[in-house]
Amino acid sequence: MAKVYNWQIGREMEYPYEGVRPKKQFAMIFDLNKCIACQTCTIACKTMWTAGRGQEYMFWNNVETKPYGYYPLGWDVKNLELLGVQEMPGPVYKGKTLFEAAPQGERILGYLPDDLDYAHPNVGEDDCTGLMEQGAHLTLPHMNWMFYLPRICNHCTYPGCLGACPRQSIYKRSEDGIVLIDQQRCRGYRECVKGCPYKKTYFNPMTRVSEKCIGCYPAVENGRQSQCTITCIGKIRLNGFIATPDKAREDNPMDYLIHIAKIAKPLYPQFGLEPNVYYIPPIHVPPAYLTQMFGWGVDEAIAAYRRAKDDKKILGALLLFGSTPDLIHHYKLEGRYTIGYDERGVELVRVPLREPIHVRVVYDDKHQAYRSNIT
Amino acid sequence: MNAAKKLLLAVLMTLATTTPSLAAETVLRAARVEVHDPTQLLAPDAKFWKSARLVEVAMLPQMVAKPSNPNPAIKSLKVRAVHNGHWLAFLLEWDDPTQNDRVGIDRFGDQVAVQMPVKYDRKAIPNPMMGNPGGGRVDIWQWRAAFQRDLDAGEHHALGIYPHAMQQLRELYPNAVVDLYPDEVLRATDARPYMGALGVDNPISHPKRTPVLDQMAEGFGTLTAEPEQDADGKGVWKDGKWRVVITHTMSSAEPEADITVHPGGESIVAFAVWDGGSREVGARKAWSAWVPLKLAK
Repeated sequence: MAKVYNWQIGREMEYPYEGVRPKKQFAMIFDLNKCIACQTCTIACKTMWTAGRGQEYMFWNNVETKPYGYYPLGWDVKNLELLGVQEMPGPVYKGKTLFEAAPQGERILGYLPDDLDYAHPNVGEDDCTGLMEQGAHLTLPHMNWMFYLPRICNHCTYPGCLGACPRQSIYKRSEDGIVLIDQQRCRGYRECVKGCPYKKTYFNPMTRVSEKCIGCYPAVENGRQSQCTITCIGKIRLNGFIATPDKAREDNPMDYLIHIAKIAKPLYPQFGLEPNVYYIPPIHVPPAYLTQMFGWGVDEAIAAYRRAKDDKKILGALLLFGSTPDLIHHYKLEGRYTIGYDERGVELVRVPLREPIHVRVVYDDKHQAYRSNIT
Repeated sequence: MNAAKKLLLAVLMTLATTTPSLAAETVLRAARVEVHDPTQLLAPDAKFWKSARLVEVAMLPQMVAKPSNPNPAIKSLKVRAVHNGHWLAFLLEWDDPTQNDRVGIDRFGDQVAVQMPVKYDRKAIPNPMMGNPGGGRVDIWQWRAAFQRDLDAGEHHALGIYPHAMQQLRELYPNAVVDLYPDEVLRATDARPYMGALGVDNPISHPKRTPVLDQMAEGFGTLTAEPEQDADGKGVWKDGKWRVVITHTMSSAEPEADITVHPGGESIVAFAVWDGGSREVGARKAWSAWVPLKLAK
């Protein structure tokens, strides 16, 4: 195996191929404090990409409730159990990645889900960790809790699916880092389904080959954000490109939130795939659980999020979520606005940092009517 | 040590440690039969097979490429060969208590494959494990139980743009309910983007006229279906045994991809087998060493 550098675990690690980073890397940030599991993203993806035969059970985008929701059933706890207890005391991960923990004769540690594991995409939905006792009151973190976790393919820098495929039928595009399964070359061995810990490759039993989230590459190639992003009614998502920490640009909202403000964290970085979907942790959930899920630095991320209202750079980046269907490459604060620009520097959107307040008198003399509308 | 040498050493070590008797000690003799209709060769129960001598081929664990298969389910194949001057045919038999001919998320199909060098040169024998680059190209004919099932069921279905002969959703999920598929409301060309691998004519996905894929390879991970399919076959599972016939033309219009053998000539042949019930697929297989093959005049 080759040695590659994974900045999320702060060290070199083993990977079946040499580390070649794409020119640009597709990335997404989800603000988990805002997701309401309305599944609009799921349906946008479903109708766009997986309406065909053999794709009935597939959700390239899904939203599950944590801690008791899973699609497929138990995907994360099964991986954690396979990997065993590992140490991540700080920015340098001391434990083993899934590549390093691969059994003899295997490329990666993983498991193939059972057919029935996909049968309950809504299992655990809205299930809280416990019942509230008499006299309970609001605390942070909450006494009992749950939150929603939207998931797509992480378009990993070191994809498990790609590493596991013995035919090199999976490739990572050099132009945008999107990971695709070659639909002409795949033979349906399901090594990728076994090898992706996030279970975001799916076997199509009608075509008998595997499929996965394509990062809406036709949209991305044309400067548009993915369907799941632009249809999100809660404006919890931002789709863009991320640099490595050493090349982070302060005027790229993705880089700013992930590398500089350190407000958004990768999902299970200890698996070692350097996933490129980042999550702003929910502030009401106990940090121990969040640390297991998002790795080291969750407390700092929550602290940064809580001061966002007073930090214009953070606020400016957060307000770009859901503000435009176009891909934002740069942003700038100007007066009371945050402004998003495309790759060539053309202004895409201008969002006020604070919504203007209009005060209207309660009684309208002209129409001789009381106003009850407050919006 | 370069990669090819390492690989060769690994193969030799595997042979030395896992094979009690090398398959190379035995010669597979393809008897000449006067069966001129190639479809009549596709009969595992035909009497002409009795004229061919049976060779028992040891099947070895695939331990060289990852993922490996240290304990394959099938340890040997019973092999017979015949030819009619134009077609070469193999009858492969093995014990398998389960007939795995449906493919689903966690269900794998039984498979067996015959491999021969495209150009046989006794001084330059290709790697028995799917050949090697630089002149070691091999022709591989893989029979799949799932394709056989499609074809056997195909008598009841029309072979249209969508593979109605292929397994249908209801066969795997009897209670499935689906409102509408794109191919039910769109023209065929517009529906193709919704058909995944089928829409781009992946050889695994599109409807078959034979249960055997005619392919070539030059090493691990290079297996590629040939543009012209010159292989055929027929498999029957009965009483805990698979009996599979695989046939291929003795020459073709693609001499760079297909074998060329003549009556009275010789070559070598190797085999691979997968037990779907043990989740064997791809590199998780049992393979054999090269077996010398002599064709009767």
